[in-house]
Amino acid sequence: MCGIIGYTGTGGGVLDVLMTGLSGLEYRGYDSAGVAVANASLSVHKRQGEVSALEDALPDGDLDGLAGIGHTRWSTHGPPSDANAHPHTDCEDQVAVVHNGIIENYQELRGDLEASGHDFASETDTEVIPHLIESALSEGADREEAFREAVHQLEGSYAVAAVFDGNETVYAARNESPLVLGLGEDGHYLASDVPAFIEFTDQVVYLEDGQFARVNPSGIVVTDAQGAVVETAVETIEWDPEDAGKSGYDHYMLKEIHEQPTAIRKCLRERVNELEGSVGVEELSELECDGPVQFVACGTSYHAALYGARLLRERGIRAQCFLASEYDVGMVPVSSDTLVVGVTQSGETADTMSALRAANRSGATTLALTNVVGSSAARECDHVMYIRAGPEIGVAATKTFASQQVALAMLSSVLSEESSMEFVERLRDLPDQIQQVLDGSQARGVAEAYEDSDAYFFIGRGYNAPVALEGALKMKEITYKHAEGFAAGELKHGPLALVTEKTPVFAMLTGSDISKTLGNVKEVEARSAPVVAVTDSPDTVSRYVDHVLEVPSAGSRFTPILANIQLQLVSYWVANRMGRSIDKPRNLAKSVTVE
Amino acid sequence: MDSPSAVVLAGGEGSRLRPLTRHRPKPLLPAATTPILEHVFDQLLEAGVTEITVVVGYGRNRVQAYFGPTYRNVPLTYVTQEQQLGSGHALLAAESEIEGTALVVNGDQIVEHGIISDVLEAHDRSSAATVGLLNRTDVASYGGVLVEDGSVTEIVENPEDERTYRFNAGVYAFEREIFDAIRDAEPRAGEQSLTDGITELLESDASVRGVVSEGLWVDSTYPWDLLDVSFDLFEAGIVDGTQAANVASSATIHERAVVREPVVIAPDCEIGAGAVVGPYACLGENVTVGSNAVVERSVVDADTRVGASATVMDCVTGVGVEIGNGTSIPGGPGDVRVGDRVFEDEDLGALLADRVIDRGGNTYVPGAIVGPEADIEAGATVRGTISEGTEVRS
Repeated sequence: MCGIIGYTGTGGGVLDVLMTGLSGLEYRGYDSAGVAVANASLSVHKRQGEVSALEDALPDGDLDGLAGIGHTRWSTHGPPSDANAHPHTDCEDQVAVVHNGIIENYQELRGDLEASGHDFASETDTEVIPHLIESALSEGADREEAFREAVHQLEGSYAVAAVFDGNETVYAARNESPLVLGLGEDGHYLASDVPAFIEFTDQVVYLEDGQFARVNPSGIVVTDAQGAVVETAVETIEWDPEDAGKSGYDHYMLKEIHEQPTAIRKCLRERVNELEGSVGVEELSELECDGPVQFVACGTSYHAALYGARLLRERGIRAQCFLASEYDVGMVPVSSDTLVVGVTQSGETADTMSALRAANRSGATTLALTNVVGSSAARECDHVMYIRAGPEIGVAATKTFASQQVALAMLSSVLSEESSMEFVERLRDLPDQIQQVLDGSQARGVAEAYEDSDAYFFIGRGYNAPVALEGALKMKEITYKHAEGFAAGELKHGPLALVTEKTPVFAMLTGSDISKTLGNVKEVEARSAPVVAVTDSPDTVSRYVDHVLEVPSAGSRFTPILANIQLQLVSYWVANRMGRSIDKPRNLAKSVTVE
Repeated sequence: MDSPSAVVLAGGEGSRLRPLTRHRPKPLLPAATTPILEHVFDQLLEAGVTEITVVVGYGRNRVQAYFGPTYRNVPLTYVTQEQQLGSGHALLAAESEIEGTALVVNGDQIVEHGIISDVLEAHDRSSAATVGLLNRTDVASYGGVLVEDGSVTEIVENPEDERTYRFNAGVYAFEREIFDAIRDAEPRAGEQSLTDGITELLESDASVRGVVSEGLWVDSTYPWDLLDVSFDLFEAGIVDGTQAANVASSATIHERAVVREPVVIAPDCEIGAGAVVGPYACLGENVTVGSNAVVERSVVDADTRVGASATVMDCVTGVGVEIGNGTSIPGGPGDVRVGDRVFEDEDLGALLADRVIDRGGNTYVPGAIVGPEADIEAGATVRGTISEGTEVRS
């Protein structure tokens, strides 16, 4: 997972555009950052660390030029370092290249290139590209031919961009990694994602796999793998760039937690009708599904998928849930009546995309449940349902999880063709109930009480089991502390050995399963562990536990959505007190576009 | 002044609006269906303001989450006033955000844009301050200003003497001298007010101008005033009460429901068969009106559900209120008790604070005030004041 940006224009200010773009892409990785600006010669600057470290390392004075590319990196091959930072250049500094993805045959290519005398400066897979270009140039190819020849030798996933000395063109190509072009008034852009240049233009063209782009100040030419010019459709992006501001909150994560009532309103809008008791999702009007449903997802989205699979099973649909990276169409039966649902916030998650592509190849119907319009998942699946959460900047997913849960609830109703006034009433109550949790949460006090714990455990059963997993993931991601989530009944089958007086246990005690889970609570209390109950029945549970985080009752299906909000806040406040980099936790990136 | 930047003071709770301010500050209470503060922003934008600093405090999460980083493409900068120690204290919180002249308005009072423009036009930077004034008789409830030849000579809060005061509209243009003046003025009861800061300017012989304007100026002092404020906005054309303008496209209205203007129906509302909504009905986001229910002369805030065959007149609700099937809030004048004071003959059918649950078949005696999360069992007659979380059994 990395982010790339490229720009060429007549108005100058190349470096400013690149640096703005990198700030907008930092959520995709921040192990290192770099830029290359093309003039008569190439100027390349790169540094380990966040974009601000690169900014400090830039020379004083003007660094303007004809064209430029930039990169923010999330390490796959080679540790974070100045040398491994992009852009990478050839032996003669004629060409600079940035790349997002993984070159699977790079060892072989590198061996050949080294054998023919090329010197490599880094441990990255990417560096083979400038050397391949160099080698083609030396055989007499022109720049574009050399770029195409180099790209044709690559196996794997890539979004790649290159600039040459003395040249105003940015060359780009894509295969299984995102790349979008932007059409401005004074110049043209390319990037891994729209926020990189939304400040400058909202007119975009999405590049497809196998396509090449030649980006000049005067225009953009897209060609296919054989070099034939392709007609492209220009789309207008409707995001407000200022949506990327923190609006007075200390962190995007806290802002996004507080945006959940609004996110859910947007998710439900014009999809539910309480007085008729109906649910209808316009995007899915063509979807027909009588067969089994398989969910594929990773991370937080996987937890949402676990929740969604249970909703479907409750309605009598055969539904299974797979980690996308473990999904194997050869091992699970997939047939033409199978519906494979990819849950992915970004719509670019490589593991999920790979699973969805495998499902497409095996003839299943595919559905993307995603937040990003125009993403790879949205374009490659047979159907798409948008969760409409709005841009999420914090690396730790919060509002998109809630929106995924609500979207999955609607999907369960659409697939089963079952709904009721009560079901819709519960859904429409959620925005206010989430607001109620946010207004009255005591999570900050609980975080203060248990900030110094050795580990945190989260237990829940039924619809609360995925929430327990998600609560633990959130805690790990932003506090760097040990945290585990378990189905409540599993605790006694092993993990109980970890429980001590220094390991608080967060128990989801909502709905009809309270008494069984209370039994598990007593097991941990016997080992002196403090217990925090997240519950809609404080009167029943408070005498068994040390702290209560109360949530309104939203029925057995939906109260866990509310319980999760409390867990988000606990993790946030623990991380806040520990001074963690909450929006950009170490080693993590927002959407992971490598397998 | 060119493309001025404004400071909006929105940090106070507005405690006289309790119990509606239990979870959010007065600037977020609805005027028609949108927060008072949203109307304040609209009028500022109308007057040409291009940057807004919002001083937040009580319930700031709610303000920031509602408005986000921009309002209609104008950037919003939030500064926090941790403790609410007066309007002057609030302005000091924004000091570091202000370059040059600052236009200062209150976030909980709606002032028509002409009044703001008049202050901006009248202000010249050789004066330390310019104060917007109106000809109104209720100076004793707010603030009075004495003016000679366009110069302010005295500014007084709640004046009770017989001198000929102009009404202080709470719209100011300030130069940076105001910050030291606020700091130099002696706090009263621990609070620093803007008027004491202006008095300090006058005592240091700084020039303070006053400009008399005309236009709508509305404030909700007590919860039931939200009704009149909303209706005033219809009358003044600030809120367009026609169906074409103010019935959201995402609202679902049954073909056999009757909608009477003026009316505002916010996004995601549902209105059932045979229901009658309006005139003078303001339904916030995601409100449900059940079949054959009647909602008239009322401000119904977001996520509230009016049950089938219920009658809701002269009523103010908070968010997430459940009004059960067949409940009757007939409206009309009644005595409202707030603390030790009794306000006689106020037109208030009932005030139901956030998340009150009414289980249906109840009757409300005009003037009833029900606190947040109170739970009223079916078949009760509700009168007087019911405090937060009370369970009322019939």
